[in-house]
Amino acid sequence: MRVEYINPFVEAAFNVLREVLQSDVRRGELYLKSTSMPVMGVAAIVGLAGDVEGRVLFDMDKPTALKIASAMNNEQLNSFDDLVKATITELANMITAQAVTKLHDLGFRFDLTPPAIFTGENMEVSNADVEALIVPMETAHGKIEINVAVRERA
Amino acid sequence: MTAQTELESKAETHGQATAKRAEKVDFKMITFSLAGKEYGVDIMNVKEIAKASRFTYVPNAAPFVRGVYNLRGEIISVVDLRIFFHLPAERKAEDALESLIILKIEEHVFGVIVDAIDKVVGISSASIQPPHPIFGDINVKYIRGIVENGGKLYIILDVEKIFAPPRAEEVGAAAATPTEAVRAREAESPAAIAAGGDVSAAFIKETLASFRGFYVTTLNETWFDARFAQWKAMRKGEDLQLREASEADQFLEGFWSPGTGELWDDDYCAAVEKALPPIEAKSINVWNPGCGKGYETWALACVLRKRYPETRIKIWANDSDLLAISMAPNMVFSEDSPAYYAPFLSKGRNGMAFNQAVRDSIFFEFHDVLNANTLPPLDLVLCRDMLSFVAPIDQMRLLGDFSDKLKPNGIVLCGANERLVEGWAAAGSGLVQAFRKD
Repeated sequence: MRVEYINPFVEAAFNVLREVLQSDVRRGELYLKSTSMPVMGVAAIVGLAGDVEGRVLFDMDKPTALKIASAMNNEQLNSFDDLVKATITELANMITAQAVTKLHDLGFRFDLTPPAIFTGENMEVSNADVEALIVPMETAHGKIEINVAVRERA
Repeated sequence: MTAQTELESKAETHGQATAKRAEKVDFKMITFSLAGKEYGVDIMNVKEIAKASRFTYVPNAAPFVRGVYNLRGEIISVVDLRIFFHLPAERKAEDALESLIILKIEEHVFGVIVDAIDKVVGISSASIQPPHPIFGDINVKYIRGIVENGGKLYIILDVEKIFAPPRAEEVGAAAATPTEAVRAREAESPAAIAAGGDVSAAFIKETLASFRGFYVTTLNETWFDARFAQWKAMRKGEDLQLREASEADQFLEGFWSPGTGELWDDDYCAAVEKALPPIEAKSINVWNPGCGKGYETWALACVLRKRYPETRIKIWANDSDLLAISMAPNMVFSEDSPAYYAPFLSKGRNGMAFNQAVRDSIFFEFHDVLNANTLPPLDLVLCRDMLSFVAPIDQMRLLGDFSDKLKPNGIVLCGANERLVEGWAAAGSGLVQAFRKD
């Protein structure tokens, strides 16, 4: 993944999370991964097109998703209903959109696809031939892993 | 053999007490099987037997060391005897129980993994026969003898010889047997086998790998042999071994290619320019795995611009060190950079920077080349002093990648002291080591 793409994603995730959660957010160590990896339970995915091809995946466990959705909606949500799903989807959209805006300012053309959300137990995601950049984010409500897998359009 | 038949055989023994040889049981052994054959070890060396799993992996240990295990508070190392003896070992699931014989040799306790533990067999030490030299699977020096009991032949292993702490002069030899052989089998690298010849050389190879991740293979063997001779002369009978990382660095001095980690100087740029073949195509694709901070990538971009002024150039430069590579795209240079770069540099806000044409030709990517590499057909691969720092098996894989992705007339630029063999033909001269597919 091009070095120039890394910062926009990290910054966007950091800014958006801090803003919507109104609390401190800590970024973990970035790393690369190529094999398939387990999904914690809730995964929102946004596809990327344009200069690149790939996707961004926001991965968290169910309790974290519930707490984040509660914080964003200013009410206590206890069941994993449509509102929670819509909220997490929106969060994924906000972060990716901000990252793409930053990339646009740097002269890269990215388009996004509408986000989709997956929930379930024991899920796994694999992109055999694209390695993913993992950006772990620690929030007061739990851990979110942002998994960016993009490659240059050849 | 059941307990009953054992009793019978004992009764038989008593019955024949006056036979030609006094059969008295003075040697007991634990018997077990490895790859379908029966073996025994002296019961005096055995502390206990156990079933265990989930051994803790130890990095950089020899391949036959499965890891360490916590035996009721005592940490013991666990050796897989099948791998030690190059016998087929079935790969069990991580948490499947393995049969362990816990050995006590002098003060040391070890666990050895075997296929199955059988029973205790008592024999007369007089009936042990010396090992036959054509015994096959296992090196004769580790065999104490052969004994027949109840219709079965048992090979008695000399565990004291296998596990005794190696004396200094044996270290290399021991390393050259199982470790090197297994590695060689994995990587099929002839260099590892050749290592058996000189004990200190083998030892230095091991330490270079563990201190600096530098692997001696056919790629850099010529340099290593020359450097080793030099090292011997320098140390004059002193201890040849590398005791710490700084000594490994000292050993590797002189390995580095000219201009490593900086902008190449005028002479080297000119030499690289000369080594580049004429290319007719409209665009040139270049791969630079392990670009580090990116200085050499910038230098190469300028050389290519000068050599092929009309062509579109694309360089994919990768490194897995995020800190190093994140600075690369926005590098600024001092005013007194070598004259070769003058046409490509322009004054920016913070210092000299390369012009847009050069900048646009490089993609710096945070990427681990040991993961999948997706690249278009390549005209050039620049990997100076990089292959020597990946494990032999990954070296082979990367070279396979190079050969898959290079166009028929494409070349690989290696480090000054690296040589590609087997399927590669030299295409460079002097300072620049270039190779094309054979």
